[in-house]
Amino acid sequence: MLWFSLLVLIPLVAVIITASSGGWSAFAHQLGNEQTASAIWLTIRAAIVVTLINVVVGTVIAWVLVRDKFWGKGLLEVIIDIPFALPTIVAGLVLLSLYGTSSPLGLHWANTSMSVYLALAFVTLPFVVRMVQPVLEELDADVEEAAASLGASRFTTFRRIILPSLAPAIAAGAALSFARGMGEYGSLVLLSGNLPFKSEVASVRILSAIENDNPEGAAAIAAMLLVVSLLVIVVLDLVQRRMVRRG
Amino acid sequence: MSIEVSGVNKRYGDFVALEDINLTIPTGQLTALLGPSGGGKTTLLRVIAGLETPDSGSVVIEGKDATSLPVQKRNVGFVFQHYAAFKHLSVAKNVAFGLEIRKRPRAEIAAKVEELLELVHLSQFANRLPSQLSGGQRQRMALARALAIEPSVLLLDEPFGALDAKVRKELRDWLRRLHDEVHVTTVFVTHDQEEALEVADEIVVVNQGGIEQIGTPEQLYDEPANDFVMSFLGDVTTLGGALIRPHDVEVTPSPISEHSLEGTVSRVLRIGFEVRLTVLTDDGEVVTAELTRTHARALQLEEGVNVFVTPSPGAYTMPAPSPAA
Repeated sequence: MLWFSLLVLIPLVAVIITASSGGWSAFAHQLGNEQTASAIWLTIRAAIVVTLINVVVGTVIAWVLVRDKFWGKGLLEVIIDIPFALPTIVAGLVLLSLYGTSSPLGLHWANTSMSVYLALAFVTLPFVVRMVQPVLEELDADVEEAAASLGASRFTTFRRIILPSLAPAIAAGAALSFARGMGEYGSLVLLSGNLPFKSEVASVRILSAIENDNPEGAAAIAAMLLVVSLLVIVVLDLVQRRMVRRG
Repeated sequence: MSIEVSGVNKRYGDFVALEDINLTIPTGQLTALLGPSGGGKTTLLRVIAGLETPDSGSVVIEGKDATSLPVQKRNVGFVFQHYAAFKHLSVAKNVAFGLEIRKRPRAEIAAKVEELLELVHLSQFANRLPSQLSGGQRQRMALARALAIEPSVLLLDEPFGALDAKVRKELRDWLRRLHDEVHVTTVFVTHDQEEALEVADEIVVVNQGGIEQIGTPEQLYDEPANDFVMSFLGDVTTLGGALIRPHDVEVTPSPISEHSLEGTVSRVLRIGFEVRLTVLTDDGEVVTAELTRTHARALQLEEGVNVFVTPSPGAYTMPAPSPAA
C-alpha cells in the first residue's frame, strides 16, 4: 500500500493540486484555450477510435493465434510484441520513414491527423491481443461442443459462450490501449508535425505548456486526461459486467 | 432400434481409433461402452454424437441417417467428463440454454427448467453459478441441461470420472434410478467395470478400436467371449492351466476331487471382509484365491500351511492364453 501510494497516488494528487491551485476559473480558462481544447479533443477521439479498432482486430488476431495453425505463426507471435519492445521514438522513426514525405508506399500522412491515429494504432496493437490470448487458450473445447450439442450454431456459441468469457480480458486490454493512447508521445511527435488544430495532441500540449513556463496549464490538461481515462475505465467495466451477465 | 452404427472406421494418422464397428443399441436402454483408456470407446461415442466424423461407415439414429448431420441437428444430449459448464451463466440459465436456442416461449422454458432442476435435486441452487457447486452437483446440472432438449439419445462420456469414489457411487445409483424414470436411450462410456456391471442393461466391451463382446452384465461376467473380456471384467487367476476367477477357487485342507492341486500358502492379504490368498502349487503355479474372513479363519490359514486348491463346481474357466500370445 505504501509502495502504491508513493508510486501512484501521491504524484496523481500532486497533479490535481497544481491544476486546482488557481481555482476553478483558472482551470477552466486553461482548458478553454482553443488550441488546448482541440488537442485534447483530438487525443480523446483518436484514443477511442483506435481502442475500438483494437477490440475487434486484437480479438481476431488472438483468435487466429490460438485456434489456427499456419506457417509463420511463431514469427507472428514475436512480431505482435514489437510495438511493446520498440522504444516509442524508434517506432516514430519507422512510421516516419514509411508514411512520411518520402513514403515508399505513396501515403503522405505526415503532418495530418491521420498520423496520430496511425501511431496510436501501432503502439497499442498488442494490448488486446495479449490480454485475450491466454484466456482464449484456457477456454475448454468441450464447452463449445456442449453448446453445439444443445443446438447452438457456431456464431451463437461465439456470441453467447465465448464472447462473455473473453469480455473481461477484452475490457482490460481496451482500458490499457485507451490509456496508452491518451498519453502517447514518442511515436507520434515525429510523424504528426504537432500542428496546432490539426495534429497536435494533449501530451505535446503539456510539454509546450511546461516549456512556456505554465505548469498550471500543463497540470490542467493532465488532470483532464486523468478524468477521461478514469471515466473510460469505469464505462468499460460496466459494459463488460453487462455482457457477462446477459450471456 | 435407436442407434445403428455400421462399418465405422476412424483413424488419426497412423493410429486406428475405430475399425469396422458394427453396433446396434436398443431403444430405452442404458448401455455402457466399457474398455481400457485409448481403446476407442470415447471416439465411438463422439462419432454417434456427431462431434467426430468417421472416415467411413454410417450412423443411424431412430431410423434417420445421421452420418452427415452436424451435432446441432442430431438432437443428442451429451454430458462431458469435466462438466463443460457455461461458467458465466447461472445453473438455471445453463439448463435453459438449449431451449432458448430453440426459441421456446419464456414460460415454457421456465417451467421445464424448474421441472428438470427438481429431477436432479438442484432446485435450491437455480441462481448459483457453476463455480459455487460441487463436482457432483455440476455434473447433475450438465445432465439436466442435456435432458432439457428432450434428446432422442443421451450420451455420457466418463460422466463420473472426475468425481471421488463416494460421490461416484451415489451418482451411479442415482443415474440408474433417473434412467428408470425418464427412459431415454442412454449410452455411457466408462473404464470402470464395476460401474458398468452395476448400472448398465447392456455392456459393449471396446478394445483396440474393435468390439470384443456385447451382452448383459451377467453374460459378460459368466460367459466372457475371450480372455480379454474375462480379465477386464474382474480379477482372474490361473489354476491347472485355466483362467478362473479367484472367488471360484476352493481352498481345503485335503483334496476334494481329482482336480485338486496341492500347494503352499505363500501370502495372506486381508482386505476388509475378504482374504486374498496366494498359493504356490507343487507344479510351480501361482494361484490367487478369495475367501471370506470367517472361512479363512475356520481353515486356520497362514503362510507356509499346506492346502489343496480346486475349481468350485460350476465355475467358469477358460484355457489360459499361451504367454507368447
